[in-house]
Amino acid sequence: MNVYFISEQKFSQFLSRMIKSEHVVGPTAKQNKFVFNKLETVDELRLDYDVTLLPPKKEIFPVNQALVRFDDNKYEGCVDPQKKILFGVHFYDAKAIDQLDTVFAHRNKDINYLANRNAITLVISNIQNVAPRAAWGTVGKEVQPKGHDAWITKLANGYVFEIFTDKGDALMKFGSFEFASEIQIAEAGKLNEEIKEQCPESLEHSSEKIAEKVRKYFNKFEFWEAQAGKCFSCGTCNIVCPTCYCFDVQDKWNLDQKSGVRFRVWDACLTEDFSKISLGGGAEKNFRTTRGERFRHRIMRKTSYLNSVLGGPACVGCGRCSTQCTADIADPVRIVNKIMED
Amino acid sequence: MCNCTAYDNIFLPKEVRIIKAKQVTELEKHFTLKMADGSKFHFEPGQILEVSLFGYGEIPIGIASSPTRENTFDIVVRKVGRVSTAVNNLKEGDTLYIRGPLGRGFDVEEFRDQNVLIIAGGIGLCPTRSMINYIMDKRDNFKKFTLFYGTQTPAQQMFLEDLRKWRELDTIDFRETVDRTDDGWKGNVGVITTLFKDVEITPDTKVIICGPPIMFKFVIRELHKIGISDDSIYLDLERRMKCGVGKCGHCQINDKYVCVDGPVFKFSEIKNLEEAL
Repeated sequence: MNVYFISEQKFSQFLSRMIKSEHVVGPTAKQNKFVFNKLETVDELRLDYDVTLLPPKKEIFPVNQALVRFDDNKYEGCVDPQKKILFGVHFYDAKAIDQLDTVFAHRNKDINYLANRNAITLVISNIQNVAPRAAWGTVGKEVQPKGHDAWITKLANGYVFEIFTDKGDALMKFGSFEFASEIQIAEAGKLNEEIKEQCPESLEHSSEKIAEKVRKYFNKFEFWEAQAGKCFSCGTCNIVCPTCYCFDVQDKWNLDQKSGVRFRVWDACLTEDFSKISLGGGAEKNFRTTRGERFRHRIMRKTSYLNSVLGGPACVGCGRCSTQCTADIADPVRIVNKIMED
Repeated sequence: MCNCTAYDNIFLPKEVRIIKAKQVTELEKHFTLKMADGSKFHFEPGQILEVSLFGYGEIPIGIASSPTRENTFDIVVRKVGRVSTAVNNLKEGDTLYIRGPLGRGFDVEEFRDQNVLIIAGGIGLCPTRSMINYIMDKRDNFKKFTLFYGTQTPAQQMFLEDLRKWRELDTIDFRETVDRTDDGWKGNVGVITTLFKDVEITPDTKVIICGPPIMFKFVIRELHKIGISDDSIYLDLERRMKCGVGKCGHCQINDKYVCVDGPVFKFSEIKNLEEAL
């Protein structure tokens, strides 16, 4: 596919037309943080963001998603994809979305996710500012982002716009682009490569070596209990993670007590009840009773359990869990490095 | 990426009619079900269903009848929470919703022409009954068939008609025990492993175990003493199988999802998986 260039001034016009005609979601400022939101005006878009509070997966796999609507004895599915342009996603979040694409299509295809995903045009933007706990320069670096439709990179006087798919190509109609020069293309490539050196956190070992050694740590109970010593079991690390996709399925009545909805809602394996079952007569069995066990499960999931399906680790190094964990114990990079250095 | 119209919505249930509902213990109710659209329901012994009532929710339940009985199928629901309590209040003629059959059940071919021992503890008799009745219906396909059934008290015994039949038939060596005795119980008293002492189980026997999590370890220890290989021991595991389609993560053990990779596992497949037993 082709590589184009658009000047700073024309870019504004391009955005403005796109926002007027389509549902465009992009990074916006919220106090001193950033969130993905529907864009109403051009000025709201903040491509200089470092990282958003929640990952953009919420646009495809929403926090709360209706699965079945019922009314007395009638019921129907709720697959209802909304066409959206997800604009300005960093490459690590695009890698995470690609992972979700894989798991929701693996074995039993989940059209509740896949239909939403199909309706998305995904535009990656280059990283202009590095988040304080970012590690995407080295985490799972063997895995390249895929599944995106376009990739824009900001140069001094405009943007290089690389198109990968027909959906990406369809965005061209909103702006006046020219073909990018060899120099502009090379500069964009350099910017995208060089920023990877600037992450404050890094992994020194290959994902394969990490998976193998972390896996061997499974039975070091004291290690895991020590790591999780300050864990509040709040599940924030799960909720802010771009690759976490666990959910609960619940039913809710409407006020008429006849109709209602069956929906899924994000769930978190760090919370105490996540794997608990009732046995009857008040008896219960929890398959991961301690904080250490639950903490270990998350690290195993991020570094090893899913690797054969995903082709790499289920962590993209965004640093959200590291920043947002109240006790600051969730950072997978620190834990992995501790194990690898042992 | 996905031609979404080509795939069924994996969360959309099917309607079933309750043909018979019978309270079998204080907590458990036995339902005989039929597809509301009159279609046949195909499954393999050991598979599960997500059983639901709109407005209440879904619960994973093992199918309790053999696929040899084609027109109807059974489930037993123990009253433990919101959904199971609502289901327990249903009666003949009422409607339920199911998704399934889900997961991997018993590969019946692996049991063909073999000696079979099934060990069921408590409510573990429900999912294993799918295999017990399959064997009884196709009895010539199997060699010696032994069944151990243990409950805490005699009052907790289920499928009393089946039990009466099994006690009398000479095509099944049926042994039962209770942990604690009430008045009138003349059988064995003790945990389920005490049943091993009077029965000859040969090392070439295929064994199915289903019961409370605590039971597995003790039973496997006995089977190892006999010399039964890990490949011949089948476990029917219980977990919080919330979605039943390998997505939601609640039933995950290492890289396995119990609702898709199981709930039936050979012991050799999971013995090195921490958190499995």
